[in-house]
Amino acid sequence: MKPENNNLENNISRLVKLAGDSNQPPKGFTDSLINKAIDELSQQPGSATRERKSKFMTANKQLKIFAYAASILLVCGVLISAMLPSLSRTREYSKPTAMLGKEKQYTLPTGLESQQQPQTQAMSQVEQKGTNGSTASAPPLEYTQGGNKPLVASDMKSVRLLDKAERLGEPTGQPADHFMVMTKRDADVRGVRGYGVSGEARCIMPYPPPCKPPMAHGGSKLPNGEDVDAMFFKNYGVNPFIDTEDDHLSTFAMDVDTASYTLIRGYLHDGHIPPNDGVRVEEFVNYFKYNYPAPKKDDFAVYSEASPWQFGTNRNNSYLLRLGLKARQISEENRKPAILTFVIDVSGSMAREDRLGLVKKSLRLLIDNLKPEDKIGIAVYQTRGRKVMDYKGLVEKDDILAAIDSLSADGSTNAEEGIRIGYEMAERAYKPGYINRVILCTDGVANEGQTAAADILKVIKDKADKGITLSAIGFGMGNYNDVLLEQLGDKGNGHYAYVDTIAEAKRIFEENLIGTLQLIAKDAKVQVDFNPDVVRSYRLVGYENRDVPDEKFRDDKYDGGEVGAGHSVTALYEIKLWPEKKGKVATTYVRYKNADTGVVTEFKSEFNTNQLNRSFDDSSKQFRLAATVAEFAEILRNSYWAKGATLEPILHQAQTLSGEFRGDADVIELVDLVSKAQQLMLKSPAQPVEDSQSE
Amino acid sequence: MEQQPKKHACSGLVEGDSGAWQEFLQQVIPQLYGMFLKSWPNPSLAEELVQKTVFDAVRGRTTYDPEKGTVEEWIFGIARNNIRLEIRKRAARPTVDGDISAYLDVMDTEPLPDELLENKETADIVRMALGQLEEKEQTTLRAMYIEGLSAREIAERMELTEKAVHSILYRARNSLRAKLKQLSAIPRDGETST
Repeated sequence: MKPENNNLENNISRLVKLAGDSNQPPKGFTDSLINKAIDELSQQPGSATRERKSKFMTANKQLKIFAYAASILLVCGVLISAMLPSLSRTREYSKPTAMLGKEKQYTLPTGLESQQQPQTQAMSQVEQKGTNGSTASAPPLEYTQGGNKPLVASDMKSVRLLDKAERLGEPTGQPADHFMVMTKRDADVRGVRGYGVSGEARCIMPYPPPCKPPMAHGGSKLPNGEDVDAMFFKNYGVNPFIDTEDDHLSTFAMDVDTASYTLIRGYLHDGHIPPNDGVRVEEFVNYFKYNYPAPKKDDFAVYSEASPWQFGTNRNNSYLLRLGLKARQISEENRKPAILTFVIDVSGSMAREDRLGLVKKSLRLLIDNLKPEDKIGIAVYQTRGRKVMDYKGLVEKDDILAAIDSLSADGSTNAEEGIRIGYEMAERAYKPGYINRVILCTDGVANEGQTAAADILKVIKDKADKGITLSAIGFGMGNYNDVLLEQLGDKGNGHYAYVDTIAEAKRIFEENLIGTLQLIAKDAKVQVDFNPDVVRSYRLVGYENRDVPDEKFRDDKYDGGEVGAGHSVTALYEIKLWPEKKGKVATTYVRYKNADTGVVTEFKSEFNTNQLNRSFDDSSKQFRLAATVAEFAEILRNSYWAKGATLEPILHQAQTLSGEFRGDADVIELVDLVSKAQQLMLKSPAQPVEDSQSE
Repeated sequence: MEQQPKKHACSGLVEGDSGAWQEFLQQVIPQLYGMFLKSWPNPSLAEELVQKTVFDAVRGRTTYDPEKGTVEEWIFGIARNNIRLEIRKRAARPTVDGDISAYLDVMDTEPLPDELLENKETADIVRMALGQLEEKEQTTLRAMYIEGLSAREIAERMELTEKAVHSILYRARNSLRAKLKQLSAIPRDGETST
């Protein structure tokens, strides 16, 4: 038979099958597939994976034991030093550490800073005692800079331990960092009624004992049975309802990240209920396109809308207020030329699931969308960091592609050195008037070099102040340090995205390339002033780790969010109104620095009761989409405030929306995800999922 | 349907016991097929995905961990992953427009897009075309593709030689294509060609 007829035969076969009425597979098909499967059984032993897996598990366990031991030692050390009068000054170390790159005082032992605080060193010694004493199997630490003792921490776990230590050591509760917010939030998760957003309320609840495992793990498995090893998420709690009488101001930093959504959809697609801590509602909501019209002149436009709505069980006079902010768009011609430094993780773990392959494809995609004036440099890291390619423009495209193709994954992960080399390159190549951006592509875990996140964060924050920004792009599942990457993007004045497929890479490097690269606003913050006469209480849905103390709103040194060209930010408030009251509901203040000129701008927008929609169904489809996505996220993260809510109405709502947003693949996928989540949540041992799948 | 045992002898599956696999697959293949068909009303795609899922399961059998759930949950996890991959694949390629008439000429050289097959109109037109074929051609095509019989089985059933079945199939495929061309041309310009 001629080869081209195979296609005809196949096509005819596929067409004829359409004429069958049964939803059972053809008998011949089942039998022959079983035979083929049994043939396959005899050919392949398939034991290698299991061995690999158990190795991973052992490593994981060791890491855990190590972290436990370190935490106990650390806390003991802190307590003892707090008690001994001779060492009483040591208490102060918690302050600089608490800043973790947020403020300038904190010094790193990286050699990048000239002065070194003795307290920090004391701290690092305590910590190091812990590491050396607790386990012999901890990964060998390699110091790339001589002289100073580095702050050793195995990974983000230790940073969290530092957080705890700092809370124990500093009872005044300086509201300086996101980390500090956890105390109040923890209280809230346990159902304790909310207090003011900022201030001393933070410290009234005791922190959970330090021996509790600090990290939330995926706690599930991938479909092939492989463990989701060491997915580091952090519980930022859930914002409480706040009485306007206690605090009528709500302040947060803008956030355009979307990584949480991409990460969580991976879990759902793989048939697992995602870890609660991995769900950040604002990143879910901001993943979707709402097509807010872009402002013509101004940097931002605000779109407010509110409708009756309730998460979870019955509440009276409960509304959902949506604030949609849209940044000015910039055309392709007007985009500033970019100097991009790629720092690519080529450690062994990047070979898994072909993560490095996805990185390479993503880079090719990006290169196809660059302009002739743009330049690209590449650094990589594994056991050591090194420069791969100095800056080249598109005229040397072949060389760039060859350099990308030459990368292969092997060895351990010295992220610190890689990032440092990348920044050194970027600093030498720095040009004012250009976009100077370091793009970190990694699966997130550093296990060699100075692995403490604080070190890396500090370097990044410094360089961001000098105009070199950072985008953290996460690849691959497992080994994935969500917390670290989000902070890197945050401190680096760039952003954080998670690429799970080439389609997602397209979204970032093709469709939204201008927004990815060129910032419109820096340190953008939003403050909503609720009118206590009309609004009884409010709750910000999401943005838990973007909290800004109210009094810092007009502090232009205080870190806010960065917003790229054409980006939109959506924030949702659940509000309860006093009955029969009319008038102003809230005034929204937006404050930001122009990314080019640094000029600070503040503007406001008001929302009145006469703008309230009469019912949820009267609201715009964009509003309903945001509400649906938010409630979906609330249920997924098991929010206290979504208690009693089920996915069934969400699914229904999403299906309706997918009809209204014709052809929007994101909304279609949402339907799929909600229905998957529903099946997973309904699933109980007595009722296997397949019963609901096939009839 | 009779009550199926909820738990299989998982140990047999992990160790590659062919009896255990046979029994397990007999039970789950129809369920998997139904699941895929529900996602896309396209039997050939459903077959493809069932096949992929079964092979993923067989090859990755040692990764099954009974502590984490039943073996059914495990294989359905793999199936859902394959649905996900399919969704992604689709998201990355351009949407298909036009009806089947646009593809009839390239049927020898290119596979038809799945989206086209999932069109309700396509199924209708195929049913119509199939109904207009000669009895013998129709029976053979249905037996081969819908029932999934082999040429030998069809030959036995129709009391023909296997070679004769092949030649009927060959003719049937071409007549089906001609009929499809004819039918899909009608609503367009009212012309009929014979």
